[in-house]
Amino acid sequence: MSGCTDNTAVNYSADAITDDGSCFFFSTTPFIIETPSGFPEMNIPSNNPMTVEGVSLGEKLFKDPILSRNNTQACINCHQQNFSFSDPNQYSTGIDHIQGIRNASALINIGWNTSFNWDGSSLTLEEQAFEPVSNPIEMHNDWKVVESTLNTHADYPTLFKEAFNIDYIDSNYVVMAIAQFERTLISANSKFDRYLKGEAQLTVSELGGYAIFNSEKGDCFHCHGTQMFMDNLFHNNGLDPEPFTDLGLGKITNNASDNAKFKTPTLRNIELTAPYMHDGRFSTLEEVVEHYNSGGEYSLTVDPLMKKLGVGLQLTNQEKQDLIAFLKTLTDNNFISEK
Amino acid sequence: MKRIFVIFTTISLVFTACEKEEEIIEGCTDTGSVNYNSNATNDNGSCKYNLSINFTHTIDGNPLEINQMIYTNTASQNYSIQTLRYLLSDITLHSANGTSTLLDEVHFITISDPSTFNLDIQDLNSANYIAISFTMGLDSLKNITNNYLNESFFPSFSWPDFIGGGYHYMQLEGDYTTALQGYATHTGGTDGIDFSFTKHFPISLNIANANTIVIINMEINNWYSNPNIINLTTDGIMGNANKQSLLQANGIADVFSIFYPIK
Repeated sequence: MSGCTDNTAVNYSADAITDDGSCFFFSTTPFIIETPSGFPEMNIPSNNPMTVEGVSLGEKLFKDPILSRNNTQACINCHQQNFSFSDPNQYSTGIDHIQGIRNASALINIGWNTSFNWDGSSLTLEEQAFEPVSNPIEMHNDWKVVESTLNTHADYPTLFKEAFNIDYIDSNYVVMAIAQFERTLISANSKFDRYLKGEAQLTVSELGGYAIFNSEKGDCFHCHGTQMFMDNLFHNNGLDPEPFTDLGLGKITNNASDNAKFKTPTLRNIELTAPYMHDGRFSTLEEVVEHYNSGGEYSLTVDPLMKKLGVGLQLTNQEKQDLIAFLKTLTDNNFISEK
Repeated sequence: MKRIFVIFTTISLVFTACEKEEEIIEGCTDTGSVNYNSNATNDNGSCKYNLSINFTHTIDGNPLEINQMIYTNTASQNYSIQTLRYLLSDITLHSANGTSTLLDEVHFITISDPSTFNLDIQDLNSANYIAISFTMGLDSLKNITNNYLNESFFPSFSWPDFIGGGYHYMQLEGDYTTALQGYATHTGGTDGIDFSFTKHFPISLNIANANTIVIINMEINNWYSNPNIINLTTDGIMGNANKQSLLQANGIADVFSIFYPIK
């Protein structure tokens, strides 16, 4: 019998007696992340370097319902590309037709986040990817079952071999591949980006909104600042009075001063990611702006930057329209059409 | 010490030439140093020492307690503190021989993360240090948008280009008068004016000692007191060069103080 007889080769055949020159060896192609202007370097875990093979495998897994218990739901069902990898429904529905209490986050420039989920419950993308697969109200699967399904699949063993040089697919490699793909979901080609590069003009209304956004009157920039349009922090933006129904960060840290604080989302592609807030309570940007404009509700942990509770920003109708016009310049249509 | 040793080895060469020669091993012989070499027989002045700079925060001399409306400023307003974050830059020790040692270019301190309360220096030369200096905020050479992209205070500390760009020097926030009103004492450069300032404290510190600690304390209430009495407001002050100037003067006056072990 002939085949590859070199046991360090990817296609080593234990049965082969004669080497037929077919051996090929493990090698991956680095996947280069281009850092957009005004962004830091992405923090990529040293044990999961970006490779073309890993990203490609991660994309396949992200879009494959094989991860769910009854083979009906993939990551992309609740993180839809047309909606900047978010869910247009207020709450996502799992395979058993059960809904959660939070709106699925948009996966955009997520590689620059320092924690994940609205409550910061995961510190890495790899860790985060474990959760939806086994969560009873999401994919409701068992990772042992996932491993067994993938290991007996026609294609996956080869793809994992090529990406990670492994012979047995362990769940750790599944989340590593998915995380690699998620780190490639980079958006920095909006009209606003082109404006900053001098390649596009903003309208008078959009420019007016840009100024309000960056003024202390509008005071959007403290949480949604820089070209990342987020601060990687958690805030209580005055949505609800006490008692809180969702403790957010406080439930993770067990610190009452963190109650009802949620992670600041990026405003990039915000036009595409309705509904808004951690619980998707607002269906339009107009409602969001009106929330800040009217001041919000008092609670013990409300952010001091919600300075005038019950009074609000007191923006004119024109200013509100301008602000929303500016927010829509952050839409990156390439991001939802590519890939 | 060195001379005596040289004589001793010379004698041993002359009189006990048939025995193994005593070797001189150069190194640091101070057991209190971080690079103590137990084999060294001759101290060559290479000893390095730990220095820890601790950042503390007081109000009226007492340690800061957050989220409680228990403080009163000179304008007789009650207030609480929920957030305190600031940048100190060019933290430098000055020695008697005229040299200076930069300990950290930019150090970010936030009361939500106690690990930022220490700046540990592990390879300080032995010397008599006669002063410590630091800049509150960032001077105009450093305070540039998208400088420091990879530091922990990016992106949350950014200061919009509309108001001059760069970074906040400080974010001091809480409620005042009632829990429904927030204030935000945000300092930084505005209107093209650099409002950072450098404090220079004479000290007398011989580092040749294990684990020396120097404390830089911020007396928070003094931001609002002397020489300018400042009222807390819900209005932002980032674009208000006059307010920034008053806060700068108060900061220079008596907000910071230094504590260090006296021998």
